Amino acid sequence: MLLAQVLLNGLLLGGLYALMALGLALVWGVLNIVNLSHGAFIMLGAYATYFLFAKAHLDPFLALPFAALALFMLGYAVQRGILNLVIRGPMFNTLLITFGLEVVITFLAQFFFSADFRTINPGYAGTNFDVGGLTIPRIQLMAFAIAIGLTLGLWAFLLHSRPGRSIRAVSQNLLAAQLYGIEPRRIYAITFGLGTAMAGVAGGLYGTVSQINPYIGTALTAKSFVIAIIGGLDNPLGVIVGGLFLGLAESLTALYIGPTYTDVASFGILVLVLIVKPTGLLGRTA
Amino acid sequence: MTRRTRRVLVTLAIGLPLLAALPWIASPVVVQFGINMLIMATLAQGWNIIGGYTGYSSFGNSVFFGLGAYGVGIAMAQFEQPFWIGLGLGLLLAVIFALAIGLPVLRLKGHYFAIATLGLAEVVTAIVSNVPIAGQNVGLVLPLLKSDVLFYELSLGLLLLATLTVFWLSRSRFGLGLIAIRENEEAAAVMGVNTTRYKILAFMLSAALTSLAGGVYAYYITFIDPAGAFDISLNVKMIIMAVFGGPGTVLGPVAGALLLSVLSEVLASKVTNIAGLFFGLVIIVAVVLMPRGLADLLQKFRRSGWRYFAQNIRSHRL
Repeated sequence: MLLAQVLLNGLLLGGLYALMALGLALVWGVLNIVNLSHGAFIMLGAYATYFLFAKAHLDPFLALPFAALALFMLGYAVQRGILNLVIRGPMFNTLLITFGLEVVITFLAQFFFSADFRTINPGYAGTNFDVGGLTIPRIQLMAFAIAIGLTLGLWAFLLHSRPGRSIRAVSQNLLAAQLYGIEPRRIYAITFGLGTAMAGVAGGLYGTVSQINPYIGTALTAKSFVIAIIGGLDNPLGVIVGGLFLGLAESLTALYIGPTYTDVASFGILVLVLIVKPTGLLGRTA
Repeated sequence: MTRRTRRVLVTLAIGLPLLAALPWIASPVVVQFGINMLIMATLAQGWNIIGGYTGYSSFGNSVFFGLGAYGVGIAMAQFEQPFWIGLGLGLLLAVIFALAIGLPVLRLKGHYFAIATLGLAEVVTAIVSNVPIAGQNVGLVLPLLKSDVLFYELSLGLLLLATLTVFWLSRSRFGLGLIAIRENEEAAAVMGVNTTRYKILAFMLSAALTSLAGGVYAYYITFIDPAGAFDISLNVKMIIMAVFGGPGTVLGPVAGALLLSVLSEVLASKVTNIAGLFFGLVIIVAVVLMPRGLADLLQKFRRSGWRYFAQNIRSHRL
């Protein structure tokens, strides 16, 4: 029974992990930018949700669309105003510049929001369902459902909508896409904005299940890497697999080996996957 | 003697005696700052070998630093051995580690190599936090040696060693092989460069220099713990300093480290609360305006003037 409960908790956590990594994988796959500031955007999403909840007394789940919109606009502006300036430079420079962004965002968050821990605690926090002897925490279940729903939604968006097709077109062949009248500066900005919007929602959900402060970003970026690498960058469904895999691996490691070893497990998996199959467990063969 | 060789030698001839004499003329605070600065410059130079010359942006160099620090820590705190033995132990650990992980990891390219080394750094940190002989999470306390002058000269010696190594690289067949790998690995292999062996040797060389700096630093601060010794932001700092100065050049990383150290020190003392913000902004502005570092700026600015910055943006924007 303990094992079943641990597996369930791992799965629920894994759904949230998937959403966290979704934006990172999208931006990486389409723009070839490894966004080291991804976790900082997750952190901003968490704060946006927190302030809408604490100051405007909005239910955190209703606050999520607003957080997503705010983060979309921020991401759009960052790509248009800064990242588009260096995107054709050496790949390493985009890595550095997003690190610089992370430093700036974290600093500003700490400056304006203070370093205090915050929690998003609606009245129904801590309520559970009991299903066949298993305890299902209500908030975790809602977070899981939203995370999986959004990931599937993004997948459908990329496959079927016009902007989604444009995004796939620029990622497959930039020049050909331009010849067909796609304006890459805008599409790149939209893609990055979508990535940060997903990060924003992930942050809001993270805030409902965990404490937040301005420094949570770095660790979340690292986790997102692990998930994106495990799942591969080819399609958004990969991050669901990667997220669930990581959630389960962490829970099982904590149960059988010890909570201090979860990082060994998750980053060990990362390194192994990279060495054995760098395109991800689900990815194309190189 | 080429112009470049002469420039390196002249810089060394003027800079070295000045730097070496510093502890006798400057205040203790300046000397302590100097030690940190010299160690950072050594780390930037060590990263320059694998990141700048070979083109493999390693995030695993903080592991080499940590292994060097733990070599000294374990030898001195657990076995009461002299410092030199510890330095050797750390060096050995780092070089063996570079060899062992280099083989699988150096096959990865671009972002994938960077992230694999980042993952390895996390794994090693987590493992060391669980190893009893390394003091687990608590860390190790080393015997105290209160001689900043000694540490200063030791760090200066290390930086000199690292810079001379890179200077040799820049002129040797081995170094040219590394540059060839950076520019086009397939072409290098076709031209007869044993790319696997070259990359691993470069990684080991980088590891050796970095671990020595870690060992000296551990003895200097007399306390090490996993979070401090394997700090990934230290790795990011090495990269920023090397890239700011000019990766793949002999003096660029040193200049970048000296300049950024002085800048952040001055800022931290003058405007404490926005120093962190400034550091991030410098990175962003530097990547946009001078993506090839100070060395390239100095070289081309004379010819193009202020247009240099506009040219950089124009050639890299979408």
